[in-house]
Amino acid sequence: MRWSARSRAVLAGLVLTGTLGGCGVLPPLPDPVPGDIVPSTPVDLSPAAGGDALSPDGFDAVERMAVRIRNVGCEELSTGSGFAIDEHTLITNKHVVADSKDLEVSTYDGHDITVGATSTAGLADLAVVRTTDPLPSHPELAQADPERGDPVTVVGYPAGGELTVTEGEVMGTTRDPLNANLGEVLLTDAPVEPGSSGSAALDDQGRVIGVVYAKTADDNSLLVPLSTLQDMLADDTAFTPAKGC
Amino acid sequence: MTEAPVVAAPEPERAPRRRRGGSRVLAIVLVATIAVGAYLWLTTVRWQRTATEWETKAHGYADEVASLRLQLDGANAELKAARDQLSTATSRITDLANEKAQLGDENVASQQYLDYQTQVSAAAATVASALGQCVSGQEQLVGYLKEADQYEPADLARYEREVNALCADAEDANEALQRELRQ
Repeated sequence: MRWSARSRAVLAGLVLTGTLGGCGVLPPLPDPVPGDIVPSTPVDLSPAAGGDALSPDGFDAVERMAVRIRNVGCEELSTGSGFAIDEHTLITNKHVVADSKDLEVSTYDGHDITVGATSTAGLADLAVVRTTDPLPSHPELAQADPERGDPVTVVGYPAGGELTVTEGEVMGTTRDPLNANLGEVLLTDAPVEPGSSGSAALDDQGRVIGVVYAKTADDNSLLVPLSTLQDMLADDTAFTPAKGC
Repeated sequence: MTEAPVVAAPEPERAPRRRRGGSRVLAIVLVATIAVGAYLWLTTVRWQRTATEWETKAHGYADEVASLRLQLDGANAELKAARDQLSTATSRITDLANEKAQLGDENVASQQYLDYQTQVSAAAATVASALGQCVSGQEQLVGYLKEADQYEPADLARYEREVNALCADAEDANEALQRELRQ
């Protein structure tokens, strides 16, 4: 009688174990097929190639902020470059706007910009030109002066010709051979020509790091450094109204 | 006292109980087997149906992918063409802006040259007038000298000095003009 009860318990245990174990082994019923498996928001969708070059009219921001300056003097004509730092302010060189009867400014797409007051710095080859017409684009200023070896991009109108973008790298600082600026200036190997004066020198993020003002005999370019530009802009007395011819 | 003999349980009664127990176990196993079989059949049918639905859906998405790939190829081709056109347009705009700037420079230079020529012409007219006055003065002086006895010598001398000064100024102006023209 005791043996029989044990056997039944063993059997019941086996059946229970088999049932539970079998349930674990048996495949589950499938989930219903969803109506739509397309995610509502695509994940990790990378932009199309070349998408970073898009702009309102196909021109880069660095081209849109550059301007060509025609200095109509009393007896002669000269051209230079400049760039916007806000919607109504241009930066260029003092020697670009010197002895002027009239300044004529045009943008990358040939639009003429009406010019207001012009002022020049006493201690650097810099000038500020206010415009009454809005400027198309303006870059940011960098945080600090560039280091030796940093890439530099120059955007301007060499020889008064087409808008041109040239590249190089910062070679270091040097004393101003023209004595036009207080303190040291930057030396780069980015190609420039007469007419490039006033061009913006940009870093690899398109931020202003200096203003082109001269070319050396060995075809290097000289820049007024960003720190000088910032110091001059921060000083209310640094710029005085320009004298015409 | 006489002990009653111990009587063992009759053996034949054990067999039917064991059989009954075995039958119950077999019945349970049978029921379990049937239940498992039914479950497996149901599972198989459901998986078949699900697989068919997934396959149908997969074919639908495959068709959609093929269509979208075709559209994407077309869109990429159009995008490339549009970028080429944009590049051409921006180059043309740059060229036109440069041409406009050059024409503006030429216009300003021409205007400055015209202003210069106007100034030179005005200067030449002034010089010519001065030389003409010099000649007239000298002719007048020659006439006075022919009839010198009719005039005071002091007056003649004063007039001669004035004519010489006028002629000297005219010659200086003429030389300045000639120098300017030679530049």
